[in-house]
Amino acid sequence: MTRHAFTAMGTEIELLLEAEDLSLFAEVEAEFRRLETILSRFRSDSELEQLNEASEGCVGPELLEVIELAVEARAWSGGRFDPTVCNAVVAAGYDRSFELLHDTGSRAAPSPARTSGAVKIDRTTGHVAVEPGYRIDLGGIAKGWAADRALAVLATAGPALVNAGGDVAAAGRVWPIAVRAGSGEITLGLEHGGLATSGRDRRTWVRSGEARHHLIDPATGLPAESDVVTVTVAAGSASEAEVLAKTLFLAGDSQRVLDEAELAEIPTVLSNSAGEVLLAGGLR
Amino acid sequence: MRATEKEWTVTTDHTPRLYALAGSILGLFLAWAGIAAHPWQTTSSATPRSAALETYTRRLNADAALVAALTGRRSAAPSVRVVTLPPLTTTRTS
Repeated sequence: MTRHAFTAMGTEIELLLEAEDLSLFAEVEAEFRRLETILSRFRSDSELEQLNEASEGCVGPELLEVIELAVEARAWSGGRFDPTVCNAVVAAGYDRSFELLHDTGSRAAPSPARTSGAVKIDRTTGHVAVEPGYRIDLGGIAKGWAADRALAVLATAGPALVNAGGDVAAAGRVWPIAVRAGSGEITLGLEHGGLATSGRDRRTWVRSGEARHHLIDPATGLPAESDVVTVTVAAGSASEAEVLAKTLFLAGDSQRVLDEAELAEIPTVLSNSAGEVLLAGGLR
Repeated sequence: MRATEKEWTVTTDHTPRLYALAGSILGLFLAWAGIAAHPWQTTSSATPRSAALETYTRRLNADAALVAALTGRRSAAPSVRVVTLPPLTTTRTS
């Protein structure tokens, strides 16, 4: 097994491959860097940011596909996953790439921002129109989608795994993957599919003396508040796992998350502020 | 004849008493019904409680619909289980 790691899309990317031909690593790395120039909201020259500035325009196939995926996910997640929470994330203080985010102690506490903005997509012309006053943030789903794409390329050579900053896509063998939960770890063996984690244990910052995090509840327009610290979910793909992890994280308290995971049969690992690590959805 | 007139007078004297008795029973019943209805509670506690119950019911119905949507929407199920193998990589909050 060979490992290849690099930084792109604002995070660490890790590729694992069991094959003789390793030339695909360079191809996948180049593809991640290209996708960053399209999908990042932290690059003013990205295609996404140009769309956000103009509110509408014709976009390329990759951006169109991810926006379509995100808008569909908003519908089937009951609005808990929402690609138009960007202004609420910025209002909460996440207004630059996370590495550049510092304590903004003297700034005012965040006020609720509007969410659930309308997005109109014309698939035939590639035209996308975002309701004025809203911006699109594809953050996690873009990384999951990119991981799924990269896996499709690598898996042609042999058993492969792609880890895009925690969004994992894997195929071809049982890949043991550590899930950070509470103060310890639990290891999941993923044979095919995706894993993703949503949580308030990372990407947190202090504003007006209060800890803030990036997971906005579209129902309130503010960072979600509950006893849940992390939710890790397994699904058919990394992008689907990303949506499901966020959807379950925003369900409410630990018991509600576990109930929904169990009823919908979503393999889930949850950690909460009481230090408990709880399994649901078929994991034992 | 005199005795008959006296009996008649005595008999008619019962009517107001019967009316009074019936009126008292009716008044007592109305008072009981009024008190049993707890009219002083209708505006202070029953309304917020039923509103909270209605909100709770709405949320449960919405959550049930969401679970059905999540179950119906999912693509191929992943193959995943807890293992004791040494991990090759780590997932974390993305």
